Amino acid sequence: MRRRAGVGAIQKQRLEQEKYKDKGNEIQENQFEQMTKQLEVFRVNLEEFAAKHKNEIRKNAQFRKQFQDMCASIGVDPLASGKGFWSVLGIGDFYYELAVQTVEVCLATNYKNGGLISLNELRTRLIKARGQGKQHQEISQDDLICAARKLKIFGNGFSVVSVGKGQYMVQSVPGELSMDHTAVIQQVANSSQAYTSISILRDQLNWERDRAQKALGHLLKEGLVWIDLQNPTEKLYYFPSLFTACINSSN
Amino acid sequence: MSEEQYEWPWQYSFPPFFTLQPHAETRARQISVWRNLVLDYFRGTKQYTLDIREASRQSLFCNTAINRKLDTEFILAILSDLQRTQNAAPIDKQRHRWEIYWHTLEEWANMIYNYVSSSGATNSVLTLFELTQGDDVQSEEFCGLDTDVLIKVLRVLENERKCELMLFDDQQGVKFF
Repeated sequence: MRRRAGVGAIQKQRLEQEKYKDKGNEIQENQFEQMTKQLEVFRVNLEEFAAKHKNEIRKNAQFRKQFQDMCASIGVDPLASGKGFWSVLGIGDFYYELAVQTVEVCLATNYKNGGLISLNELRTRLIKARGQGKQHQEISQDDLICAARKLKIFGNGFSVVSVGKGQYMVQSVPGELSMDHTAVIQQVANSSQAYTSISILRDQLNWERDRAQKALGHLLKEGLVWIDLQNPTEKLYYFPSLFTACINSSN
Repeated sequence: MSEEQYEWPWQYSFPPFFTLQPHAETRARQISVWRNLVLDYFRGTKQYTLDIREASRQSLFCNTAINRKLDTEFILAILSDLQRTQNAAPIDKQRHRWEIYWHTLEEWANMIYNYVSSSGATNSVLTLFELTQGDDVQSEEFCGLDTDVLIKVLRVLENERKCELMLFDDQQGVKFF
């Protein structure tokens, strides 16, 4: 049957489209309402779960990470609020405590590493400093990264720098590290030595001499590296934060 | 202890430690560590003098394991800083030879005077040898104190009228009051 494109037909079409649109909205709204309800249920379950496993979360680093991931997937940040449910759990406190202790270790070692410390060394010192109680011992790398991130609210004073191969450095002095500076740190961290030089950077990172010189000059100026002028072939630049004897010393 | 027994700090095996650093804060810390190292090393090995011209032969200033050593300029910088805090003094005009006071002259003076008073030796004459090498002083910190340094120390006490030096060709002694 042939459809007649009269005004009436157009109006009818429009009406039907409106109906479909309304229905679509209705369905959308329903879904939204359902999802909200579901999330709410989920959130309540999560809180119950957290309360039930409070001790586990405090003591077990892997459990803690999984819990964090679970929260993140539904958009809940257990560290966000200082009051209310989450701080009652003591989870907020745990990271707050870690963050404060991180600052302490960074300040205490600044004199010898210039404000750059490897996450491994930080973790070792923290574990030593936190004492022997069972709930103190297990701190994972993730815990530290999480705590250090919280410190970002104080500005650029603290930052966590990835140097590849699952390793991180924590920088605790103001003054930002550019990508080139980070690249230098990464290069040294991944080598088996604590030093680098212009020719090493040229060789490993394919940089021009000027670029290498500039990066090293900046790191020297910021007090993150020491210069060694007694190497027969060229100047060497050392990171005390990557020099084993320095890392292991207590002074 | 002997030189071989001395325990070095981590910085001693850190090659750039032997290069005077351009970064002000780093350099200040570096000099501070060197100061303490010099004083502690001299105290541990019971040495009192140093000749800059011989310094490169001393393991203190020369770590052969990493092939690094302090140059004269750097050594002088450290000694000058020690002089500033009365922990060292040049004993010749060209500043080649130095005395190292791991206790300042004042500190030595107090130490010796306290010992003399508490052992009731005031008003008697002691030879310089007895004072620093005698059986009675073997466990004292100032045992083995270099004679030239000792005389300087006693002059400090003399100025405070706490003793009188008697230096003759054949005998060197001191009377405490």
